[in-house]
Amino acid sequence: MDWEFELIAGPYGGTTEGPAWDGEALLFTHIPESRILRYDPRAGAVAEFRKYTNRTNGLAFSADGHLYGCQSGSRRIVRFNADGSTSVLADRLDGRLHNHPNDLAVDRQGRIWFTDPFGRLPAPGPQLQGLLEHASVLRLERRPDRTWMIRRMTYDTTSPNGILVSQDQQTLYVAQSGYAEDRPRELRAYSIREDGTLGPYSVLHTFGVDHRGPHRGVDGMCLDTEGNIIACAGWQQSGPGPMIYVFSPSGQVLETHAMPVDRPTNCTFGDADLRTLYITTGGGHLYRVRNTGRQGWLLFPAPRGD
Amino acid sequence: MDTDMTAPGFERIVPKHAPLDRIAYGLQFGEGPVWNARQGSLLWVDIVGDTIWKWIPGKGTEILLRPSGKANGLTYDRQGRLVVAGWASRTVWRMEHDGSIVTLASHYQGKKINTPNDIVVKSDGAIYWTDPPMAMYIPGMAGDDVQRYLDFIGVFHLSPDGATLTPVADDFINPNGLAFSPDESLLYINDTSRRHIRVFEVQADGTLRHGRVFYEARGDEPGNPDGMKVDTEGHVYCTGPAGIHVIDPHGNLLGRMKIPGHVTNMAWGGADWRSLYITTRDSVYRVRLQVPGVPVS
Repeated sequence: MDWEFELIAGPYGGTTEGPAWDGEALLFTHIPESRILRYDPRAGAVAEFRKYTNRTNGLAFSADGHLYGCQSGSRRIVRFNADGSTSVLADRLDGRLHNHPNDLAVDRQGRIWFTDPFGRLPAPGPQLQGLLEHASVLRLERRPDRTWMIRRMTYDTTSPNGILVSQDQQTLYVAQSGYAEDRPRELRAYSIREDGTLGPYSVLHTFGVDHRGPHRGVDGMCLDTEGNIIACAGWQQSGPGPMIYVFSPSGQVLETHAMPVDRPTNCTFGDADLRTLYITTGGGHLYRVRNTGRQGWLLFPAPRGD
Repeated sequence: MDTDMTAPGFERIVPKHAPLDRIAYGLQFGEGPVWNARQGSLLWVDIVGDTIWKWIPGKGTEILLRPSGKANGLTYDRQGRLVVAGWASRTVWRMEHDGSIVTLASHYQGKKINTPNDIVVKSDGAIYWTDPPMAMYIPGMAGDDVQRYLDFIGVFHLSPDGATLTPVADDFINPNGLAFSPDESLLYINDTSRRHIRVFEVQADGTLRHGRVFYEARGDEPGNPDGMKVDTEGHVYCTGPAGIHVIDPHGNLLGRMKIPGHVTNMAWGGADWRSLYITTRDSVYRVRLQVPGVPVS
């Protein structure tokens, strides 16, 4: 079935990212202007939700409805509070500032798994600490005494990008996306052990390279109720072009759908029945597809109706 | 101490081969030096170290306040009370004589102010500070709330009775150091991002007018306009590439004092106000100069 892509907002110029359904509307980030926008499908309009977000990229809700974001400009995860304030929970890994968070996923225990690539732009102000020697998946979580800390979870990534926790909480999907290396771009599945550490990863899909350059691979992703991974991937400059893939949990390519514009960045399901797929892009668009035939699985909010 | 780019008149201010003493080191981000003439002591902050330090010459260093809310600029008011640009705490606060803390300003028209950076008290008791948003952006300097609310970046004036808060400038990108001329008819305010100092005329009601660029910092060496002070002859001392730029009242560079590390601020002290205390990110230095600085309080 051909997906029908509807342009519902933008292009804003520069990357839109972080689509997250809040129960009534779709939040998404516009990175170069450091804003979070909010598309209400009933009103059919976009409003400004937050300003001065310091290049916040990915967004995600915890099970109890708190909104977290990757404030990549300031090298930290933040929580956007309902009263309009913004909290920094922890910003150091073993005493050192980490890199520039890109995307995040919250698990049922309220732990925030996030990808921490090196980033393109330095943080504002005096450069007090350089980047880490590695670009890994980190996890922001509470200690038993309720204070926050950050833990390193992977030791084998170079450019982690999109990230998901499966519905059964047993698998962590990570898009490994380094462009300028010998390593291919991969969609990986790490098993999450009982103690929360990660087992070795399986490669679900590999993206290649040729004379036109490296194929972009996966950026952001979301899950449907069957556990399949809907992944934004590709670009016009090399490879099969900008596409949305549907991968089974074992990596079987169930569907691919060519995007009407370049560089899809991230996606999520939304609307009351969670059957609308929203997609953001490198050019600053917000698209939706209503005829995927699929329903999304979100940690928050729970679906209403079918 | 090394100097360069000197012009006639510089050596009358900065003696040749003046020794540069280091009186503290190991700071994570030193700032906010201020001399307490009543006690003969020097205060400074370590922003990232979340501490206000006190040094008594010949005796040593002790902690005055920790945690400090990651405070930045320090000064004294006419009653000898410490007045603080609270930076990550997003307030301007004062330490009373009994050691208790009073918030002097936190909101403008119902919105939290940005992150007060540096601060001066005028002879009539009015308090001026620069209010950039930078502590909300710089990794490692976050306070409780890193959300910016104000749509302008400027400089505030708090009336002597503490009741009225007025923005006296709203078109800065990163307002940082500020200092009055000796007669308080002029207020110098620098902008770290624009790498310049602007000078404004101070009106009777405390507001500013006729702002114009007074000095542009040039140079490839590390350093930017940050802390800034004025001596009794009206020379402006401002951090910049290579260290501290000494500028005459007409905006001409008289010479550069070359300081190791990243200079952040400076303050005169000592009984004759001729010792210039200099904070860098990791240290506090002192050098004896020949023109006294404008006294604080």
